[in-house]
Amino acid sequence: MPTDSRRLTGPEETKSPYAYVKQKKKLQVLTGKRHDGRSPETLRPIFLKADVVSQARGSAYIEQDNTKVMCAVYGPREVGRKEDFSMKGIINCVFKYATFSCRYRRSYQQDSEEKDMSVQLLDALEPAVCMHKFPKAQVDIYVTVLQNDGSALAAAITCASVALANAGVDMYDLVAGCSVRIADNLVLVDPTESEEYKSQDDNPVNHGSVTLGYMPSLYQVSAITSKGEIEFEVIKKAINLCGNTSQTLYPVLQKCLNNSRFSLSLRFSLSLVRYHFCVQF
Amino acid sequence: MVDVQLSDAEKVFILHGVQDNCREDGRGCEDYRHLEIETSVMSNTNGSARVRLANTDILVGVKAELGTPSPEKLNKGRIEFFVDCSANATPEFEGRGGEDLATDISNMLYRAYDCPNCFDLQQLCVIPDQQCWILYVDILLLECGGNLFDATSLAVKAALFNTSIPTVTVTKDEGVVDLEISDDPYDVQRLDMKSSPCIVTLSKVGHSHVVDASQKEECCTLARLIMGVTEKGTITALKKEGSGSLDPTSIEDMMETGRRVGESLNKCLMDALAEEERQGTKKKSLGFLR
Amino acid sequence: MADDFKYGPHEKDVRPDGRELGEFRRTVLNIGCITTAEGSALVKLGNTTIMCGIKAELAAPKPAEPDRGFIVPNVQLTPLCSPHFRPGPPSEQAQVMSQFIAEVIKNSGCVDCQNLCVVPGKLVWVLHCDLMCLDYDGNVYDTAVLALLAAFRNTRLPHVEEKEEVPEVTMDKTCSLIVSSQPVSSTFSIFDDRILFVDPTVEEEGLATGMVTVVTVGNKLCMVHKPGGSPLKSEQLLTCFDRAFDRSKEVLRLIEETILSVER
Repeated sequence: MPTDSRRLTGPEETKSPYAYVKQKKKLQVLTGKRHDGRSPETLRPIFLKADVVSQARGSAYIEQDNTKVMCAVYGPREVGRKEDFSMKGIINCVFKYATFSCRYRRSYQQDSEEKDMSVQLLDALEPAVCMHKFPKAQVDIYVTVLQNDGSALAAAITCASVALANAGVDMYDLVAGCSVRIADNLVLVDPTESEEYKSQDDNPVNHGSVTLGYMPSLYQVSAITSKGEIEFEVIKKAINLCGNTSQTLYPVLQKCLNNSRFSLSLRFSLSLVRYHFCVQF
Repeated sequence: MVDVQLSDAEKVFILHGVQDNCREDGRGCEDYRHLEIETSVMSNTNGSARVRLANTDILVGVKAELGTPSPEKLNKGRIEFFVDCSANATPEFEGRGGEDLATDISNMLYRAYDCPNCFDLQQLCVIPDQQCWILYVDILLLECGGNLFDATSLAVKAALFNTSIPTVTVTKDEGVVDLEISDDPYDVQRLDMKSSPCIVTLSKVGHSHVVDASQKEECCTLARLIMGVTEKGTITALKKEGSGSLDPTSIEDMMETGRRVGESLNKCLMDALAEEERQGTKKKSLGFLR
Repeated sequence: MADDFKYGPHEKDVRPDGRELGEFRRTVLNIGCITTAEGSALVKLGNTTIMCGIKAELAAPKPAEPDRGFIVPNVQLTPLCSPHFRPGPPSEQAQVMSQFIAEVIKNSGCVDCQNLCVVPGKLVWVLHCDLMCLDYDGNVYDTAVLALLAAFRNTRLPHVEEKEEVPEVTMDKTCSLIVSSQPVSSTFSIFDDRILFVDPTVEEEGLATGMVTVVTVGNKLCMVHKPGGSPLKSEQLLTCFDRAFDRSKEVLRLIEETILSVER
């Protein structure tokens, strides 16, 4: 490993104390009774606040119990890299876990999981933004997970869409994120870290997770990702549940924006109709 | 994505064609283009395959190396995907131009193969906690003619099917573990690829969706659904790509199509691979010159 | 224009946000907010926000110092906190700040590295103290030092026992980190080579001609950090010290109150 000359570094080889814990965690059997007392379809309580970073164009902070995510939006500003001229704007997403946000310490550089999350976040937000409104410019979205207790991507999607609206970026709709854990016949909404699907613990078929980005007033899905091997009927059910749950988040997002600096900056222009019914032009 | 320039009139032409289930090259919405597969194309790899899907040309080589297992999966091996977008394929890939696409493809492959049933990593274990096989799957994009995800996954599955890992005998002598790797080319272990997934990409063009979109058709879509499908029809990974959004009902339709197409695609691929294997050494090697 | 605007108010001892020259912004402290970290604290000084998370890991000590653990502080000026920062390796500013924090820890002796020893010569704790700036509105030094101290006070290390040469960790059984001294920092800006004011915002930092950071421990002076800028008279520096000692008392009271309220 190359040494980092720009940071203070400790000893080269360190081990998390979790690696020394004697009794290895047994494979948890998920039942309808969840350890925090929720029913399978309930979300954790959400705290959402816009306008938390004074220096940013727009920002938001979301808390789903112990999952804490912060997002700031800068721009539209000049495109950093030399790019071709484009009449459409560019969105740049950076998703990062804070070093102390997970059980095991994260590194300072983005790892491949975080890069993948950045791409997924971008895919979820792009359909909701009026990209033609800021030609030749770029909007930067920085998302930091301060603590990860499951459903971090879903929280990041919700948080970033509120931050974008807070920044006054023209949007067709907000995006609400929701994720579910599938365990046999059971579908658990908004899983915590211990409930989340991990590929290393030998799960049979129909164990996995689905994350959905949903635009609640357009009834459109802006992003969908899944993990694990799932049967068609089961995944269909999970997607529906995700959509319905995201819908219930909409009033929360609206209220949060109403309370913030700019009252709703969403614009439902006529261009919207053109956009969605003639997808090409 | 690799772009071709299309005029509005051309787009309308493609759009209307898809609406009537007749695409610009005469296919229906659920038809694949002509597909050629050849395995064992490179002798210095443990397994290799080349796939040509119309103009999309992909070469995959698999190298097996012994290594230590990762701490979370002590009784399992590893599989790693590297995608190389060659600047031969399109000038856009020059320098770091193809990097984003390459990580997109490799991340999708990781996710599709990341479930215990579709690719059993335990078969790569040599000594639990100590030694395992690591499969390095190197994917080279030689030419881009649309639908890179599907073609890559077909090539990867074929190459893994073709992979043979030398048999390792473990002997324990007074606590000293000794590994002996067989150098007999016939004393090898094959991988069980029966339930491995193929990737099916469904591109939304107008109100309909098509499989195996050509480059021109890709130019006309704003949203694509990429899914990993096994022979049993289960879905191992799902991803929406592109700047457009999708209606929940159309997602359902697309998934339904994807599952149907994926099932038969897997079957066709396995049949073709079995047929090629049956021909054995009598098979005429096609190579790159045709 | 901005200079004229600022110049007027400062003559009358009032600042753009209505504060007096010697007045700090409202300080808000939240301790133990991140449960995945062994210790954590969030500090808001006006708009400036810094989150400190301490992650403890185990490692072998240096052969020369077999009974000393490691404290590794790093300041991250994330691209999230200000439009001036971009993703990538730490800027020069961040490196200077990390170095400053490391000096504070070393000079104040707030955490004794010998307390971080588990098995001499074999196993010691490494405390990764990551100070993440979440909102950059000036005076990051003071905020960072406060966040670090509060996080140290909050840190609980899991119990380690050595059984037959193999260390065994019990996560449920923890003990508090011993904090032997409490450094508090106060930053002063120099305006127009003569006016001193405390706790500058980012706007004021831009206009300032110099800066002084005074770190105190209890009623003793620990460090003075003055990176260039306009020179100061010795009387002026003495007023800085007086104000810094007052501030130190305020801050320590705040920490005690917060810890009490968290425990309750």
